[in-house]
Amino acid sequence: MKLYVYCLVEDVEALSGPVGGISGAPVRLEKIEDLGILVSDFNDDSVPVTHENAMDHAAVVRSVLDRTTPLPFRFGTLVTEQQLRSYITARKPALESNLSMVRGCVEMSVKIIWEVSKEKEEEVQESDHGLGTTFLAEKRREIMGSELKAAQAKEISTWLHKSVSGLTRGEKVSLQSSEKLFLSAAHLVPRANLKQYREQTAQVREERPDLHFLFSGPWPPYSFANIELEFKTQFGVS
Amino acid sequence: MSDFDQILVSEEWEETDLSLLETLDHVLNRGLVIAGEITISVADIDLIFLGVNVLVSSVETAHEVLRKRPTE
Repeated sequence: MKLYVYCLVEDVEALSGPVGGISGAPVRLEKIEDLGILVSDFNDDSVPVTHENAMDHAAVVRSVLDRTTPLPFRFGTLVTEQQLRSYITARKPALESNLSMVRGCVEMSVKIIWEVSKEKEEEVQESDHGLGTTFLAEKRREIMGSELKAAQAKEISTWLHKSVSGLTRGEKVSLQSSEKLFLSAAHLVPRANLKQYREQTAQVREERPDLHFLFSGPWPPYSFANIELEFKTQFGVS
Repeated sequence: MSDFDQILVSEEWEETDLSLLETLDHVLNRGLVIAGEITISVADIDLIFLGVNVLVSSVETAHEVLRKRPTE
């Protein structure tokens, strides 16, 4: 029998009501070293990645968000009780520091999906006249396109940061992690600033109609639960 | 709606699609990791968004699904 681990909490003495976890197993609050951990029993060796399981994991973590700011564990965290106890005991100062950082905050997510506009592409193509071969012209277009995208991603990241920096406690930004995902940002926002943050992001959206924004939140601070540890992930196919 | 209700804002995507995509992006890619192993299994091809391309892969898949959805 293993434990499926959802999140770490502070200042929670009991769950406010019955909570169903992965595979419908009841979630309970374990106390280790004054910290609370939401867990449920799990009988299998791996956790299937399904819509239902992902949503169950998220719902359990979210179930305490109105009372405290939890530190979420990653989906699929299966441990023995002894492993969990050792982990908490050995890393208590780091975990408390991480809890302190996120205390009173929620995570807000901003994603920008964008491609170099036709106009920009044409500018790049026009500048290719005079190159000797099609191959070189194509290579040059490719490089210029990448450089243009990189420069614009950086510029947009700086602009977004400036727009919300007075309202956030932390920020994690990833630029161009793939062809279409131009920018992905997670903002750690004190709950007291949430209304103002939303107003500010609405303004941000109005300022750049050329960009496609995807805002979501509030989330538990998944992106700020970031104690660096060695780990191994196994993907099985069921 | 209170300030604390979860919202998803996009010009293009249905709220239910976004809810799933954003949830997957958060729970699969982020969060504390206990030293040892995370063992997950993948049964549904549409949900293979593991790695840094989580959102975009899923967006592209969702876009395809939406495009193919019969109009009612």
